[in-house]
Amino acid sequence: MIKTMSKRFSDLFLAFMAKLTSKYSIYLILVAMLIICSILSPAFFSAKNLSNISRQISITTIISFGMTMLIISGMIDLAAGSVMALAGILAVATYKFTGSLLLSMFAGIVIGIGCNIVSGLIVTRFKTPPFIATLAMMTSARGAALLYTNGQNIYQLDEFVVYGQGDILGIPTPVIFMVIISIVTWYLLNNTRFGRHLYAIGGNEDAARASGIKINQTKMTAYVISGAFVGLSGVLFMSRVNAGLPNAGIGFEFDAMTASIIGGTSFSGGVGTAMGTLVGAFIMGFLNNIMNLLGIQSYLQQIIKGGIIVIAVAYDIMSKNKKTASQLGNIEERGKEA
Amino acid sequence: MKLTGKIALCLASAFLLTSTAVWSQAAPAPKNGKTYRIAYIARAQGDSFAAWLADSVVKEVKKYPDTQVTVFDGQSKNELIASHIENAVTSKYDLILLQPLDSEAQVAPVKEAIAAGVKVVTVNNRINDATVPAVDADPMQQAEVNAKLALKQIPQNAKVVVLMGPAGNMHSDKRRESWKKYFFDVRKDVKIVGEQIANWNKDEGMRLMEDWIQSNPKIDAIVAMNDNMAAGALEAVKGSGAKTYPLAYGVDGTAEACLKIKAGEMTSTSLQSAFSLAELSVKMSHDLLTGKKVASPQFISAELITKENADKFIKMHKDLGNIK
Repeated sequence: MIKTMSKRFSDLFLAFMAKLTSKYSIYLILVAMLIICSILSPAFFSAKNLSNISRQISITTIISFGMTMLIISGMIDLAAGSVMALAGILAVATYKFTGSLLLSMFAGIVIGIGCNIVSGLIVTRFKTPPFIATLAMMTSARGAALLYTNGQNIYQLDEFVVYGQGDILGIPTPVIFMVIISIVTWYLLNNTRFGRHLYAIGGNEDAARASGIKINQTKMTAYVISGAFVGLSGVLFMSRVNAGLPNAGIGFEFDAMTASIIGGTSFSGGVGTAMGTLVGAFIMGFLNNIMNLLGIQSYLQQIIKGGIIVIAVAYDIMSKNKKTASQLGNIEERGKEA
Repeated sequence: MKLTGKIALCLASAFLLTSTAVWSQAAPAPKNGKTYRIAYIARAQGDSFAAWLADSVVKEVKKYPDTQVTVFDGQSKNELIASHIENAVTSKYDLILLQPLDSEAQVAPVKEAIAAGVKVVTVNNRINDATVPAVDADPMQQAEVNAKLALKQIPQNAKVVVLMGPAGNMHSDKRRESWKKYFFDVRKDVKIVGEQIANWNKDEGMRLMEDWIQSNPKIDAIVAMNDNMAAGALEAVKGSGAKTYPLAYGVDGTAEACLKIKAGEMTSTSLQSAFSLAELSVKMSHDLLTGKKVASPQFISAELITKENADKFIKMHKDLGNIK
């Protein structure tokens, strides 16, 4: 009797610890980094620097949210960086042509969506693996950006810089956009049928199809939303750097994936959260910032960053064993609610 | 796949293939006598300087009625450049004008081309074979003209930051070496408070400077190995709400740098003129084709751009259509 009681108790304790480490560990890591960085450099923990970091990560984080949705449903977008550049360039061109800020933002988002509709169609219609379809879009979109600009940077953006360099009540505009997009992503993933379908498709596509989920429609929607985010970040990027750079955003798709993965999104699909991605982006932002504040040499920075990514992914694989159990737990909880 | 899908795919591929024919630069047929055909192989058309150089070469060749040029894009890939060289030999071009990407990787394909009887000239970077005729800009001198100006301008015990190009890039390394020789070795009082690679990019230069501003309340000067990175760092200074700009030095003479120098935001840069490179290299190519003797290597000189002469270069960029 006592033996079973104690076993039950220890089981409960282990389950609690497992939940703490698996579900909230990422937040613990963030807090730990905040403390360690503050000790390492007196310049780190100041309102100015934290605002600086938020502004620096905002553009790739917006891409990360779209990427998170795609990875959750078992897809990927390698074209994000190139499409961002193309959308940004054409937004700049629209601004130069019309002088309208709103129209240029609209153009950027439409281009982002347009490119991703093409990728989405190739994925859903021709059953091409997302890796290949978006790889193709990556080169095509970059080519289009270079063709349009003839490889030259576009200058003299005048008022266009308000999107990236302006601020509202002291909060940088890109950060405001990042917050809005994170709320949108959180809402989509947690409170809509679309969000639940993404998890279902990523968890088991055949089962999702059997249960009547419109796979292609959901995938297309994910690409369209992600495209809108990419287009928006293109506008913010060009505005922030005050130039139309056709070579912008090379490798941004990987930065976006890194934030997602560190934030707990799993490449095996079906797992990931908006808040996790935001935290993942901040962890990378803190890391980049503190290394520059401390003046760590470029080559060493790359090694350290690589190390962090490996740790995060290894952690992802380790916690995957717990994934089935925790999902079952969620289903049980939901069953109780219903 | 359904039949309609198959047809759509076939049509799409047919369209893409025919479109390449439309976009290719069709060369006019030779009128009379010998027409020399030059294959210009660009390092990467995606690189703004390389694109400007390719444009300049095309324009320059038009000055020689007996010569025509076709441009190939190396896309920053050594293996692609090698295959462009091989293709140029197979297609019996008379001369290959090459903008090398890597000084070592292009040696072997160039030697094969020469062995096959095709003449080769390199421009804007040299390969590790001094027998190949070359036109280049001297990266040491490009930085030197700025460093010598900085010697007089940068205050005592100043704190400076340094922005570097991609790791192992010859031009970045040489420019940095020149800054060391003509400035940092002379001015031992100056302290470097930050030095990082920003890969020639404006956004990376901006991000680094944003961080440096946080840990250093006062930065007196920005020493950048190109203009894009200097401009990015200045963008960060603007964003920090600072009332004055630090001294800022670049290299390249981009339109943006010229405008910033004119506006008093940037201090100086030096122009690596694509026009001069194109002019010299096309002349050298034509001389070789017509059997004249040429001296090699030939260097274009770097022109220092400061507030005093910025107007001249802004006009040049306006004529190029880079700015209004």
